[in-house]
Amino acid sequence: MLGEIAGSGATAWWVWPIALFVVSFALGIVAVLAGVGGGVLFVPIVGGFFPFHLDFVRGAGLLLALSGALSAAPALMRGGFASLRLAMPFALVGSVTSVAGALLGLALPAEVVQLALGLTILAIVVLMWKSTTPAEGKVGQPDRFAVALGMQGSYHDPAEGRDIDWQVRRVPAGLVAFAGIGVIAGMFGLGAGWANVPVLNLLLGVPLKLSVGTSGLLLSVVDTSAAWIYVHRGAVLPMLVVPSIVGVMLGAKIGARLLRIAPTAIVRRVVITLLLIASVRAILKGLGIWT
Amino acid sequence: MTTLEEQGIYARWLERGTRAGLVGLAIAFGVYAFELIDPLVPHAKLPDLWHLPAHHFAAATGAPTGWEWTRHLDKGDYVMLLGVATLGLVSAVCYARVIPVFARRGERVHVALAVLQILVLLAAASGLLAGGH
Repeated sequence: MLGEIAGSGATAWWVWPIALFVVSFALGIVAVLAGVGGGVLFVPIVGGFFPFHLDFVRGAGLLLALSGALSAAPALMRGGFASLRLAMPFALVGSVTSVAGALLGLALPAEVVQLALGLTILAIVVLMWKSTTPAEGKVGQPDRFAVALGMQGSYHDPAEGRDIDWQVRRVPAGLVAFAGIGVIAGMFGLGAGWANVPVLNLLLGVPLKLSVGTSGLLLSVVDTSAAWIYVHRGAVLPMLVVPSIVGVMLGAKIGARLLRIAPTAIVRRVVITLLLIASVRAILKGLGIWT
Repeated sequence: MTTLEEQGIYARWLERGTRAGLVGLAIAFGVYAFELIDPLVPHAKLPDLWHLPAHHFAAATGAPTGWEWTRHLDKGDYVMLLGVATLGLVSAVCYARVIPVFARRGERVHVALAVLQILVLLAAASGLLAGGH
């Protein structure tokens, strides 16, 4: 594997950023086709098979998730597919806990983080494997927190040709969920779209398209707080960050074009398999069995 | 579709800030990758160092932590952090821009949420929360 090649010490330095760009480009394509964020693929795969320390991989993972979220959010907000009012309380909680997660991740021994990362990715694999068709959100009774926070509105869905009203329920449970998501996002540099969307859609009753759009806006705030911790701790290595960001963003553009023709069910299975391999690799690394 | 005033303002500032940050990042990486400005850590030495934890890397290379990187803007590897810092500050600026809209409407809860969010983001950016290893 790539890590073994690096171990030989015979590889020229410039091979790595190029390899990173190529892998990130491929990850950007499959991430879009599989409906997941780039960060959730990037950290376990690059962390498992490239020679970089996990601190730098997580720093790069956070910055590429942040860049993608920041780039997408303005159009989503203008289109009404992301709601600032909906995001604000959850972003606040998530950004506080993401700082805690980042500090925790940088304080723990790398083996412990590798093991926890492997187990987290394994849990994501199970979620992806078992995931059913998302709900379209149920317009039920909003709780008093949702009313106080003005968490309601409507957006026009061109695909359905009608305005869709939305409101939110179970805000306290949502705050707890986003607190946990923030810790995971900061600790592993994963981004958190894989968790944001189910919580918004299934727990809070937000329509799916609004959940997807608002997830990006949430990510752009939550990941910012955690990213600063990595910057201040010196865990941002330029040689990793830019090839990764450019690769994933270009790959995502190609992926979006392929979306109509690609066999997404097959791609999804490939991604699940990749994540499964990466999670096993991380667990073995964490246990010191395959370093 | 209902696009609220604050959403429009937030989106406009987010777009400007993100574009500036990403363009800055790309230009700075070009400067760094082609060694137009000498880096603090020579490219050829990176493969011997990037397997180290961040704090060991900093100790081995004298790489700055916290805001010390701003004193190393004459080094190719740290010019790039200007782009990262721009991306890291843009959300706080966006929140600051929507506070007057919420305040004008008397939406005190949202003013409070925005102020608290800015404080969290600035606390993270300040380096006070990052501490030492």
